[in-house]
Amino acid sequence: MARILIIDDDPDIVEAMKVVLESKNYEVAIAKSGEEGLKRVRQIKPDLIILDVMMESVDKGFDVARNLKNDKNHQDIPILMLTAIKEKTGLGFEKEAGDPDWLPVDGYCEKPLKPEELISKVKELLGKR
Amino acid sequence: MIAKEFDLAKDLIERNYWLIRLRWIAIVGVNVTVLFTSQILKLSLPVFFLYAISACLVIYNLIFCIFLSRIKGKESFVIVNRIANAQISLDLLSLSGLIHFSGGLENPFIFYFIFHMIIAGILLSRRASFLQASFAVLLFCAMVVSEYSGLATHYDLGKFFILNRYNNFIYASGVSFVFISTVYIAVYMATSISQRLREREEILAETNTLLKQQALLKSEYVLRVSHDIKEHLAAIQGCLEPVASGITGELNPRQLDLVQRAVQRTAKLIFFVKALLEITRIKLTKEIKMDYFYFQDVLSEAIAHISSKAKDKNITVNSTVEPSIGRICGAQEYIQETVVNILANAVKYTPGNGKIDITVNDQGNTILIQIKDTGVGIPADELPKIFEEFFRASNVRELEKDGTGLGLSIAKQVIERHNGKIWVESKQGKGSTFSIELPK
Repeated sequence: MARILIIDDDPDIVEAMKVVLESKNYEVAIAKSGEEGLKRVRQIKPDLIILDVMMESVDKGFDVARNLKNDKNHQDIPILMLTAIKEKTGLGFEKEAGDPDWLPVDGYCEKPLKPEELISKVKELLGKR
Repeated sequence: MIAKEFDLAKDLIERNYWLIRLRWIAIVGVNVTVLFTSQILKLSLPVFFLYAISACLVIYNLIFCIFLSRIKGKESFVIVNRIANAQISLDLLSLSGLIHFSGGLENPFIFYFIFHMIIAGILLSRRASFLQASFAVLLFCAMVVSEYSGLATHYDLGKFFILNRYNNFIYASGVSFVFISTVYIAVYMATSISQRLREREEILAETNTLLKQQALLKSEYVLRVSHDIKEHLAAIQGCLEPVASGITGELNPRQLDLVQRAVQRTAKLIFFVKALLEITRIKLTKEIKMDYFYFQDVLSEAIAHISSKAKDKNITVNSTVEPSIGRICGAQEYIQETVVNILANAVKYTPGNGKIDITVNDQGNTILIQIKDTGVGIPADELPKIFEEFFRASNVRELEKDGTGLGLSIAKQVIERHNGKIWVESKQGKGSTFSIELPK
């Protein structure tokens, strides 16, 4: 079964998502910060990454995404970005998702995400590979 | 500082225009008076000179008018101040001329100089006002002395006075004393009053800036707090939902009921916090990104957004957009959200089998969007408050318990950020019409 890495510094959100994803038999790995996330990606080579935006810094998630998309070994891993940033900046990122210069991710969702939405989004992105 | 100077210049321009308007009235007054005294009172006046001066008044009033409109937009305080000074000096010259040709010292209109002293006191600095007063006194003395000494012709008012007084030393010096003192006292009083007014205006402006700063601080505080609250709420919702949807194992009916209640309440709270974040975010954004977009697209998407709910209640939604409306400039997402907001309200508060009519008209530089429903309407006494934050009309509160009371205030913020206008007309029980005027 596909391996999913969740990079998020909120342990409760992580736990909730883990429960949902494991119920569908996905293998779930966890990283509690952007830096740890980058390390874990290299170690376990996940099939999908779920990435939070605000971690060590308000836009750490963007850094991580850019870093991975510029890395030949990992640029093919789809990234699903989860964030509450919409309110903070007033920008709807949905339209920019997929524009490699601006927001180099494959999907974008606003927290909180319903279990069925999370699963369908994960399936969609894994199917893209 | 520069902005303040700009404001001062603008303010002074306004007052310059006021002076120009007053002069038009004065010109009419001069001509009527000359006509009246020469034709009806039959005083022998040198009407040619008097009309010539009034012609001069017309000419320089026009020139000032044109000049002021030319410098519009690039006004500097120094230039506008010079114009004001020039206007008053020219007026003093004209007035002296008019008085000289109509009896000099004997003309009771001589005290009209006081008006100019008051005008100077309002328009100019205290120093400039006293300079203008001295100029007036100089002109006055020159006239009195030259007429007294015979250097200049004295134009007699004829029947107005039985005896000539211009060559009576005691009379001439007495009137001169009264005149000069009145002129200076008038300037002193006018400048004192206007100085105090200016000081008060400055204090008001400062208080205003302070209030704005505090409003900004408050908004920042609200943004921070709501954002933190929303993060926790998202986590709560994230933990509750897998339980409610049975992912963690089946619940017995009582457990399920309670968890579902918790999920629903959290969802409502998240919705409220999001609305609060949104309105705060708009308030704090200095500039919202604007671009050209097709208004028709926005409207179609907005209608699509509410169509299923409208269908459930069997509400007909009609829309007509004037074909000449193509692209308009604005923040598309915000505008769309605003239209959705108002349409969603219309659907929510229109009873089943009702009707919603949307018309969009091209008005040249603006478009007018009107959303008319056959809903419950808004009580007349509550209409003025409808766009206030957290306000919900009483009849609507009875109809639906939940609601943030923020939807329309967000709409108002958005439209006003586009320099547009939003308003509502409503009759309780008959329906409401929301109108939005947006620049293209």
